[in-house]
Amino acid sequence: MNALKGMVAGSILATASVTGAGADSSDPIRIPVNEWTGQHVSAHITGTLLQKAGYTVEYVTAGAVPQFAAIAQGDLHLQPEVWTNNVGDVYPKAVESGDIVVLGQLGLQPQEGWIYPPYMNDKCPGLPSYEALYDCAQAFAAADTFPRGRLITYPADWGTRSKDVVAMIDLPFEPVAGGSEGAMIAELKSALAAEQPVIMMFWQPHWLFAALDFDWVSWDPAGGECVEESGQKRGSACGFQQASVDKIVNKDVATKWPGAYRLMEMVTVDNATQNTLMLEIDNKGRKLEEVVAEWVEANEATWSPWVEAAKAAMSS
Amino acid sequence: MSRLAASRPRDWIRAVLVLATLALLALQDVAGWLVVYPDAWVLPITPWLNAFMVWCVDTVGPGFRAFSATVDVPMTAVRELLNWLPWSVVLAVLTFVAWAAAGWRLALFTGFAVLYMLIIGYWTESMNSLALVAISVPTAVGVGFGLGALAFLSGRAERVIAPGLDLMQTVPAFAYLLPILLLFGFGPVVGLIASVLYAFPPMVRNTRLGLARVSSEVIEAGLMAGATPSQLFWRVRTPSALRQILLGVNQTTMAAFSMVIIASIIGGTADIGWEVLLTMRKAQFGESLLAGIVIALMAMVMDRLTAAAATAEPKDPGGDRGLFARHRNAFIAVGLGLAVGLLAELIPFLKAYPEAWEIYPAQYLNDAVTWLVVEHAGTINLIKSWAFFFVMLPVKTGLAQTITPFTWGFEFTPGLKAGYVALALALVLYMAVRRGVGRASSIAFLAILLFFGLTRLPWPALLAMATLLGWQLGGLRLALGTAAALGFLIVAGVWPQAMLSVYLCGLAVLLSFALGVGLGLLASEYDAVSAALRPINDTLQTMPLFVILIPFVMIFKIGEFTALLAIMAYAVVPAIRYAEHALRNVPAQVVEAATCFGCTRRQLLWRVKLPLAMPVIMLGLNQTIMFGIAMLVIAALVGTNGLGQQVYIGLGDGDFGVGIVAGLGMAFIAMIADRMTQGVSRTWQERLGPTPRQ
Repeated sequence: MNALKGMVAGSILATASVTGAGADSSDPIRIPVNEWTGQHVSAHITGTLLQKAGYTVEYVTAGAVPQFAAIAQGDLHLQPEVWTNNVGDVYPKAVESGDIVVLGQLGLQPQEGWIYPPYMNDKCPGLPSYEALYDCAQAFAAADTFPRGRLITYPADWGTRSKDVVAMIDLPFEPVAGGSEGAMIAELKSALAAEQPVIMMFWQPHWLFAALDFDWVSWDPAGGECVEESGQKRGSACGFQQASVDKIVNKDVATKWPGAYRLMEMVTVDNATQNTLMLEIDNKGRKLEEVVAEWVEANEATWSPWVEAAKAAMSS
Repeated sequence: MSRLAASRPRDWIRAVLVLATLALLALQDVAGWLVVYPDAWVLPITPWLNAFMVWCVDTVGPGFRAFSATVDVPMTAVRELLNWLPWSVVLAVLTFVAWAAAGWRLALFTGFAVLYMLIIGYWTESMNSLALVAISVPTAVGVGFGLGALAFLSGRAERVIAPGLDLMQTVPAFAYLLPILLLFGFGPVVGLIASVLYAFPPMVRNTRLGLARVSSEVIEAGLMAGATPSQLFWRVRTPSALRQILLGVNQTTMAAFSMVIIASIIGGTADIGWEVLLTMRKAQFGESLLAGIVIALMAMVMDRLTAAAATAEPKDPGGDRGLFARHRNAFIAVGLGLAVGLLAELIPFLKAYPEAWEIYPAQYLNDAVTWLVVEHAGTINLIKSWAFFFVMLPVKTGLAQTITPFTWGFEFTPGLKAGYVALALALVLYMAVRRGVGRASSIAFLAILLFFGLTRLPWPALLAMATLLGWQLGGLRLALGTAAALGFLIVAGVWPQAMLSVYLCGLAVLLSFALGVGLGLLASEYDAVSAALRPINDTLQTMPLFVILIPFVMIFKIGEFTALLAIMAYAVVPAIRYAEHALRNVPAQVVEAATCFGCTRRQLLWRVKLPLAMPVIMLGLNQTIMFGIAMLVIAALVGTNGLGQQVYIGLGDGDFGVGIVAGLGMAFIAMIADRMTQGVSRTWQERLGPTPRQ
């Protein structure tokens, strides 16, 4: 929002401290570490490769929302995994003003939509089609929503997308804001443990899918990209527009660390990689650094072109 | 004789207001703006605030950023020092300090706490948290002492500082995280500043109170000895007020600990707070509980330590003893640290605790919650539905909407509605004749509230009612303050959210106050109950509140009921503590006299102790309300729609104005509630007259 002008002021300060162009700076590159394991994997893979290219790297714990202010101001430098669906207002404005530069997609194929546990297929025949939900709303009902079904949506500060879709296609469901990711997962875990009805807006890749089984509600096929905000109704509902996962850097990275900039352009991480690594970390309780180091060792063929390109781009 | 004639004018005002409310409700189809404040009338307060913030960042931003770079230096130094020290040195020195300050019991507890951090494998994280607190507490104490002394010395300064303190303590920290982030840049310094802002007010209050309470004889003695004003302040006043000031240090320390997690939300600190947030996001109850206990243990140790320092007998100045004698304990602590440090060089495991020796019982805790959820699903659902249908929904949306065949088992037919109205009217008339118009009007208002629900009552009626209540409890000033504060909520366009918050918080406060006073009463009568409650109270107050959210969600699911329970778990503590304290401190002479007259134990409690303890119990209600409101923001994480949620929306969108308007709204509600309950407490006190205090 308006707060952005403030960030501009801040980044002018940051620019002033950048030493003259030419050689890559030897300052440490600061990478934010957010609150979820998938991002830890992406951040540490990127960081390890930057180290292979000869940079010093510093991992800094940062909240998913506050980090954008920090990246725009140049306090943090690059972030390989940004989910463009829940970014608030700061991020798009910072991209627009040029403080944050987007370097394309990471390669994750995200999916967003409504998930439910497989045992609900028996209680609500016709699933996974969303059409089935019209007839068996009561199978998903709870005390506070009866006779309408209870649909857990994203927390209120992540927007009102499910609520809008429910209203547009006139589904007999009551959207209940999830509060926080922790609360949503707690609800899913306990519902699955007791085989209780549950349907929830969720996203993947997420470590939860490595541990538990879920089905996705299916929608009518959209001709091309799904337009989520308007025009959906029963019979022609395409559900949700799918997000993209972007790589971003602060605007000074290109001049301060040209090699790192090049590496960020090239690096990719796909669903399979993240899911395998997340399973090791979250379910088998192994250390993040160890698991990432193993992956890096085993996949030299994948990343060596990236590191070579980075070294070539470094101004010597 | 009828009381009708004896009613005071303001009772009649109340009656008129009730009638006006009914009229407004009748008119709601014709003129909707009477019930729901129209969007078009909302003042653009949020854009104004945002514009102000931009101006602030542009003009003073660079200065702030330079400041945060300066503060970062000592912070990093302390953090690195604590991480560099072998664990055995930290253990030995802290245990010794605890022994010197408060004896072997605290030493034992301290030793246990340090070992706990080590054994579950959170040593580095714990030291990082300790570093944050080690910097923020002295800073807060310094700022607090300075402002407290200033408030004491200058009446004008006090008039500015006092309301500022109220705001600092009631505006939720989440609301000002964003502006701090914009001004000071990203990093641990932001957490530090948030922590200092929240922690310094108790220090100001206690410093001012302590300085003002120094007896005039002491001052005179100082003057006669020829003290200069500066000597009088530093050598006479400050030492005499030391005990009260140290109490302030104690409260400031506790407040700083409660901010550890919130500081981590910004990030930049790989500390215990971050660990709790991380595990909470994965809904790992066992893991987050184990991490949360670290903060609880640290806070308890610091609480006992500073409390012991505050109550210790002042030592004799020891004028001509040698340097060593005066600082004997400090020398021993340093010597002990060096000795253990040397030993750690020789024996490796004293330096770095081997990972293989760590114990991490998180899985058992998780299994326990899962067992509860699976085995008792039916009972849990019953409790939840019952609470919803018979308590929460009637207050929120009124009986008119709540009673359906699904909920209460029957239809709310026009006949039944007429019955409800007739019953309410009969009760009102009875009250009017026996107790006067004032009471009758209150009953009538409650009946209307239950029928329509708090969230569907017209805003002009609620505004007028609250203002009148303010006038009765605290005079004209409180009435004006109430009207202005609620008026702000209305024109800022957050009235519906405010009412949702009032409903949730009000219900939680009423329930936890009733429960808390009951428990406090039991605790005052039976020492065993008291001993059992104390550790529970300590844990609930020092454990990061996020941790208790997860099991509540797993058991009771996302929604308002879980939020209600979470608020109650925190707000019940002051109710218990104040009730027990008040009942145990009824003057002994009074109890003796009553016993001599042949009071039974029950009569003693109900007729003597309870009435005498009432003013203090009402202060407990005040604190219950404050704690309840403080918890609203955190309860929003399990899915509520009040002002608490607005604060997150502001934080998520990077919209300074939205967050701060909601934060101010919560602060205003808290302040109104505070002044009103203090008014009630004062009235009780006056009714009792001066009691013999020991």
